[in-house]
Amino acid sequence: MTRAIPFVLYLLLIALHEVMLRDITTVLTAEINLAALIVLTVAVYKPELVATWFGFAAGLVLAAGMPDLIGWHTLWLAGLGLLAYHTRERLNLDSLYAKLLLILGGILLHNVMVLITFGAEDFWFLLVTAALPGAVYTTLIGWLFFLVKEGRITWTRIKALF
Amino acid sequence: MLNRKSGLSYKSWRVVHLAVILIFVATLILKLPNVNQLIGDAIIDTAYSPFFKIRWTVRDLVGTNKENRLLRVSLTEASLRIVALEEAERENPRLRSILGFEPPPAYRLLPARVISVTGEPLPVSAAINMGIEDSVLVNHPVINQVGLVGRVQEVMPGYAKVQLLTDPLNRVAGRVATSREMGIVRYLPSEGMILDNFPNQGAIQVGDTILSSGLGGIYPPGLRVGIVSDVRRPENKPYSLIKLEPAVNFRTIEELFILMPEGP
Repeated sequence: MTRAIPFVLYLLLIALHEVMLRDITTVLTAEINLAALIVLTVAVYKPELVATWFGFAAGLVLAAGMPDLIGWHTLWLAGLGLLAYHTRERLNLDSLYAKLLLILGGILLHNVMVLITFGAEDFWFLLVTAALPGAVYTTLIGWLFFLVKEGRITWTRIKALF
Repeated sequence: MLNRKSGLSYKSWRVVHLAVILIFVATLILKLPNVNQLIGDAIIDTAYSPFFKIRWTVRDLVGTNKENRLLRVSLTEASLRIVALEEAERENPRLRSILGFEPPPAYRLLPARVISVTGEPLPVSAAINMGIEDSVLVNHPVINQVGLVGRVQEVMPGYAKVQLLTDPLNRVAGRVATSREMGIVRYLPSEGMILDNFPNQGAIQVGDTILSSGLGGIYPPGLRVGIVSDVRRPENKPYSLIKLEPAVNFRTIEELFILMPEGP
C-alpha cells in the first residue's frame, strides 16, 4: 500500500498543476505538459504495467474537469506510458540525452495526439505555436529533474555558486 | 515467470491488465450515461478540491487586499470632499451676504479673491488674483460687503497688491455719518485705528459710524470705515483722541471687490 503513496502524490501534483500552476508557468503559448512528463518519468524508472496503469490514472485526473474527454486522455496517457516503457527497453538510458530524447518525443507525440483528437481546426499553426514549444519547455523541466535526480545539481553545489 | 498469487505467467498477467485498461478506456470513450460525469466529479471532489480551496482563499485574500486599498483611497477622497463641502458651507453665507451688494454710483464691482496676506499681528497688505489684464490700476479702491478695505498699491500680470487700512502709511479722509464732521482715518500700531485731526469741540460720540468722505481723491464717499469706540477730548488741545473699531475684520478677508470707475 505504501508503494502507492508516491503515485498518489504524482496524481495530486498533476491536479495542483491544473488548478494553480498552469497559468503562472505558461510562457507565451508554451505550456508545461506535466501529466505527460510524469507518466514518461514513471515509464523510465518503473515496470510496464505500473507505467500503463499510472498513465491511465493520470488521464483520469488530467481530464476530470472535461468528462467527455476522459476516455481519450486516459487512452493517450496509458498508451504513452506503455510506449515509453518499450522504447526505454531499446535505448541506453544511462545517457541523460537519451532520456531527454525520450521525454521530448513522448511529449511531442502526446501534444500532437491531443491536437488531432480534439479536432483543432488550425492544426499546423497550433503544432508550431503550442505543441512544439510546449514539448521543448516541458523537456527543459524534465532535464532539470534528471539533473537533480542524478545528483548533478545538489544543494551544496548551488550554495557553492554563491 | 509466474505470478506468485494467481499462478498466471507474466505474459498472461500483462494481457489481463492491458485488457482491463482497454475496457476501461473504451467505456470512457463510449461515454456511457453518467459514468464519465461521476468519475470526473469524484476526482474533482478528492484531488482538485483542496487546491481549489487554496486558490479561492488566495484569490479572496488578494481581492480583500485590493478592496482595502481602494477603500482607503475612497476614504481619503471622501474626507477631502467633506473638507471641501465644509469650506463651501462656510463660504455660502458669506457669498449670500455679498449678493445684492451695490457699488457706489459711477463704479462697478470687480470680484477678487485674496491669495495671500502679509503683516503681523494684523495684515497690512494682501495679494489678490486680479491684475493688469483685468484692467486693475494703482489706487483703485478695494472693498468688501462690510466696508472699505484699502487700495490697490501695485499691479502685476495676474495679481495685484492691496494696501490695507491697517497699513500706518494708508490714510482715508473720513466723515462722521450723522454730524458730517470730518477727520483723517489712520492706523497706529500702538493705538489701533483712529480718527485724527478731529476738532475737540466736534460732534461725535461712541457708536457713530465713520464713512469715507471722498475728499482724498482715491476713495469714493459713503464707504463704511469704522465705528467710534472711544472719544477723549483733552483740555487745551485742538483735536480729540478718537478710537475706531474697523468695519472690516482684516484677519478674515477672503472675497473682495475692486471698485472700477465706469466710463472713460
